[in-house]
Formats: sequence, structure tokens, C-alpha cells
Amino acid sequence: MREPEISVVIPVCERYDDVTALYLEYQTGVARVTTAYEFVFVLDGPHSDVLQALHRLVARGERITIIETTRAFGEATALTIGFEHVSGGTVMTLPAYFQIEALEIQRLVRALDGADVVVGHRWPRAGGWFESLRRRIFHGILGWVTHLHFHDLGCGARAMTRPVLAELQLYGDQHRFLPVLADRRGFRVRELDVRQSSRDACNRAYTPKDYARGFLDIFTVFFLVRFTKKPLRFFGMLGASMFGAGGLVLLYLVVQRLWNDQSLADRPALLLASLAVVFGLQLFALGLLGELIIFTHARDVKDYAVDRVIHYPAPDELRPTHSDADQLAAR
Amino acid sequence: MPTPPPELSVIVPFFNEEGSIGPLYAAIVAAVEPLGVAFEMLFVDDGSTDRTLELATQLARQDPRVRVVRFRRNYGQTPAMAAGIEYARGATLLTMDGDLQNDPADIRLFLDKIASGYDIVVGWREKRQDHLLRRKIPSRIANWLIGKVTGVPIRDNGCSLKAYRATVMKSIPLYSEMHRFIPAMASIAGPRIAELKVRHHARQFGKSKYGLSRIYKVLLDLMVIKTVTTFMARPLLWFALLALPALLLGLVLTGYSLLAPLLQGVPPPLSIAGAGVLFTSSALILLSGGALAELVYNVGDIRDKQFSRLTLRVWKQGAGDR
Repeated sequence: MREPEISVVIPVCERYDDVTALYLEYQTGVARVTTAYEFVFVLDGPHSDVLQALHRLVARGERITIIETTRAFGEATALTIGFEHVSGGTVMTLPAYFQIEALEIQRLVRALDGADVVVGHRWPRAGGWFESLRRRIFHGILGWVTHLHFHDLGCGARAMTRPVLAELQLYGDQHRFLPVLADRRGFRVRELDVRQSSRDACNRAYTPKDYARGFLDIFTVFFLVRFTKKPLRFFGMLGASMFGAGGLVLLYLVVQRLWNDQSLADRPALLLASLAVVFGLQLFALGLLGELIIFTHARDVKDYAVDRVIHYPAPDELRPTHSDADQLAAR
Repeated sequence: MPTPPPELSVIVPFFNEEGSIGPLYAAIVAAVEPLGVAFEMLFVDDGSTDRTLELATQLARQDPRVRVVRFRRNYGQTPAMAAGIEYARGATLLTMDGDLQNDPADIRLFLDKIASGYDIVVGWREKRQDHLLRRKIPSRIANWLIGKVTGVPIRDNGCSLKAYRATVMKSIPLYSEMHRFIPAMASIAGPRIAELKVRHHARQFGKSKYGLSRIYKVLLDLMVIKTVTTFMARPLLWFALLALPALLLGLVLTGYSLLAPLLQGVPPPLSIAGAGVLFTSSALILLSGGALAELVYNVGDIRDKQFSRLTLRVWKQGAGDR
């Protein structure tokens, strides 16, 4: 059997459609690019119906790897596990439900020429005005925070080259921010408009919990992208301004007590100002703690990503990243 | 076969310097070759978008002493220097700008200084060829400030022409726009630092890329470095210093609010009692934070001890000469 050129990772989490139909559709899409492909299904927690269906497919001779975790660890973990079992030079992630038209797969893969990561953007998009507004606000805030403008991070269809996988560390809910994190590692990320599948029922009801999670995610990404290496800049500025504001009010109160003879005891402003000072102090201390953590781990924290080392005549043996070797292998 | 490590690594970051790279290469070779030291040139291409990488690759092809580290994108001067220091193999590391403003003819003096026992040699552009108001005066203020805060008085932190003993410099963590402060940052290892007057030329090709960054960033970075270099090994002390005023204030306020009803017969003043409790508890939380910081430092992989090892000298009685 030939080495696969394209590996497709499909995380099966909470939401999934009939895998047999899904597999057949994706297969036709991928087959348009190359016949050397493999599929990796990662079952996030036991899904016995899916497992059975997949085993039937394997019995038919399909090139499928099945991985099952004992409990649901989340999509990011499922992807990471899947990435460890791929061998293709190009790796795709596809959702376990109909989200994009399978024929768009070839466009995603072809767009890798000139980019390291290509993410799908379902367009034109079905759904009501409220949905579209919600999406716009989410991506608007994200764009403002990260200076990266993506339109559809919820789209699970992505294509990427092998070196990207080696450097991505996903956990929690970070699978959605894969393009943001890849960009941060210095990879070229492109968004590509793809047709939405007619079966992508996107009228999912969003609970308040989903909203809260969405905003927490943004907050997390904000820190990851902007302040991972300089916590004191963020906490320090915030803390210092709180401290300063509280301090000024305190000063004003003391001046009034001393010269205008206005008693401190019955002034609620005293409490408020003290709170601000104390809060500022704590924030600053948090920043220092963050700085200490960064410093003690500075050897693992790199500010840069090396594309390649050019050295003639001997191939260089001092390569800390695997990207070169992998790129060569991919060719 | 890997070549034996060279004695000297000349590290030059480039960002869109297609005009300078060729002449600079020629100047470095002309300056260092007569000295008879084995050397390598490490060109860090900081994501240039012009022909810099192409020219650098050509040089590497012609001259095996040239190695080029290519970044995926533009990251800035600190990462470029840090990458250069990481990838360099020489026993002495020499960094310089890629814009021909430093003169490679000065390299000899730097090597002499390193050979005479200094760990870091810093260039000082005595006759600086730059705009007075936009660059010279802000940098003079910054240098004064850096010297005051860090206790490493260097007249010209911004000069890129510097030489380092590799054993010392490779262990110093460099991150977050600290290229102005490399000697200050290195002071955690207590290196022997020397200053050298260097020649400085006006720019011949291209424009200046690294302007003076915003002042608040410099101030905060300075604070970070101060914290890092002086208090890293005893974080609890630092936190205790923060906590002490809060604790004193809290105790005074709480005490007053407790005593007032007894002495003056008035009801306990609520605001003052509240403020007192706030400050006292804040101090306690800060102290706990300090304990946490001790824990972090303890499990981290950088210790003060290691830094002291980098520069120490040992004289041992009776051991004899070996």
C-alpha cells in the first residue's frame, strides 16, 4: 500500500451524523485530489454505534484508523491524539457531521500551495439574522483582540501541512482557535470560502453557558496571544492604574480630613478607594508572579519560529525544529 | 562531518537589508581573517521581504563559514539576537547591526577585551551619527534610567556591537523586546563588563527600522528586569515589601476603629474599620502570593546558583597548579 499523501482526522464528539454516509461522502471529496489517503477517526468517549459502523468499513478494506478514548476529553484532545497517528504530508481535519460540501475538500487542499494552514469559511451561510449577528460579534471581538480576522472559526474543515502539527499544542476548547495559534507560531494561515453543506443544520440553540464559554475562550486567546510572555505589562498597567486612582481618592479624603475637618469615619468613599488600592496591589503582584513563571521557564519559551537554517556544504545538524526534515519528507 | 566549533561567531540580524548584506560580509571577512581566529558568520534573516534572504543564501553557498537562520516572519530584533545566540557555536559571540552602522574593524578590540577576562564587552558609540532630537536624546535618557534602575551603568545600551563569552550568554534568558537591556539582563550572572568606544557610521542603505519603542514599554520592561535580576531568588521578600505598607496601614486603621469606641464613646466608625480590614487582608494575600512565588521558583528550571557558576573563579589552597 502506498504511503498516504493526505490524512484526514475526524474527531467524533457530541455532535455527529451517520458515519458511513459521512465517510463515503468525504471519501469522494478526497479521492479527487489523490487516491493515497487515510482516515483517522477519534472517538471522544465511547460511541458504540459509531465504533460498529467504522469496524464494518474497516472490514470492507477501507484505510481507516480508529481511536477510542475511555471518556470524553474534548475535541482539542481528540484532534491532538488523531494528529499523532497520521502519516500523510497533508493533514485535514473534518467535522463528524455534514458541515461543508465534500467537493470543496480539493479546493482546501489545493489552497495549501502558498499557505501552511487553510481554514474553511462557510459562505454563503444558512441561518437567521440573529445567528449571523452573534457570529459577527464573536469574530469581531476576536479580530479586535488578536488583530487576526477570521470569519468562521466554528468550521471544522481545515487543511494543513505536516510541520504545523508538530508545533501546535491544543488543549481544552482551543481547537476552534487552531488558525489563531498557528498564525502565532508564524505559519501562513489562509481562509477560504467553501460552500456549506445543505445538511448542516445550524439552528443549534445556544444556551447561556455557550455564550459564557465563548467569552471565556476569547479571554484565554487574548492572553495567549498578547501577554503570554509579558504578564507584567498587562497586570502591571491594570494594577498601577487601579492603585493610582484609589490612591488619589485616598489622598483627597485625607486632605479634606486634615484641612477641612471632614471626618473620615462616615465616608463610604474611603472604603471604595481602599478597595481600589488593594485591588491594584493584588493585580500587580499577580503580574510579578506571572513574570516569575515565565522567567523560570524561559528556556522553553521561544519568541521566534525558525523556518530553516541554510548552511553549505554539509546539511546542518543543529536544527532544533523538525520542520526541515518533515518538509523534505513531504516532498 | 561537523566542523569543529569556531572560536568566534559573528551574529548579524537582517531585516530588509539587501543593500548592506554584501558589503557587510566583505567587511567582516576583511576585518577578521587577518586575526587568524576560526570564525563563523551567523546571519539571522528576520523575515525579510526583499532580496536579503536570496543574497544571504548565495553567500552561504560561496562561503561555508556563513550560516543563515531564516525566521518564518518578522519577529523583531530581540528574537533575532536570541536566535543568533542560540544557534551560534563559537566560544565568543559578537553581535552587530546589519545596516553597516557598526564597523567590523572594531571586532579585533572586542576580541582582545574578551581574551583579557571580560565576559561582556559593550560598544559605546561616542560620536553617534544619528538624529539628535529623535534618537540621541531619548536614548541618553533611556541609558541613564537603565543604569540607575539596574545598577549596570552603561553609556550606550542601544549599541548592537557587543561581544559575549558564550558560556555566560547562552544561559541568559532573553525575551520580550529586551535587546536594549542585554547587559542588564546578563547582570544576574554577575559578568565582568567592559565598555569600548566604537566607530559609528551614518546609514548608507535603506531606512532605520527599529525606532525608539514607546516609553511605557521600556519602563515596564525595566521594572521586569529589576525584579528579575535582584529579587528572583527571594520572591517572598519582594512580596513582603509590597505587603508591609498595606499591613501597617491596615493595622493602624483597624486599631483606631477598635479603640475609638472605648476612648471616645462614639460608635465604631464603619468606613475606617472596613478599610482597615481590607488592607490587612490584602497584606495577608500578598504574603501568600509570595509563598506561591517561592514554590514557583523552587520548581522552575532556572536557579540563582546556576548563574553564579557561569562567572565564578576558584582559587584553591594547596591544590597546586594543574
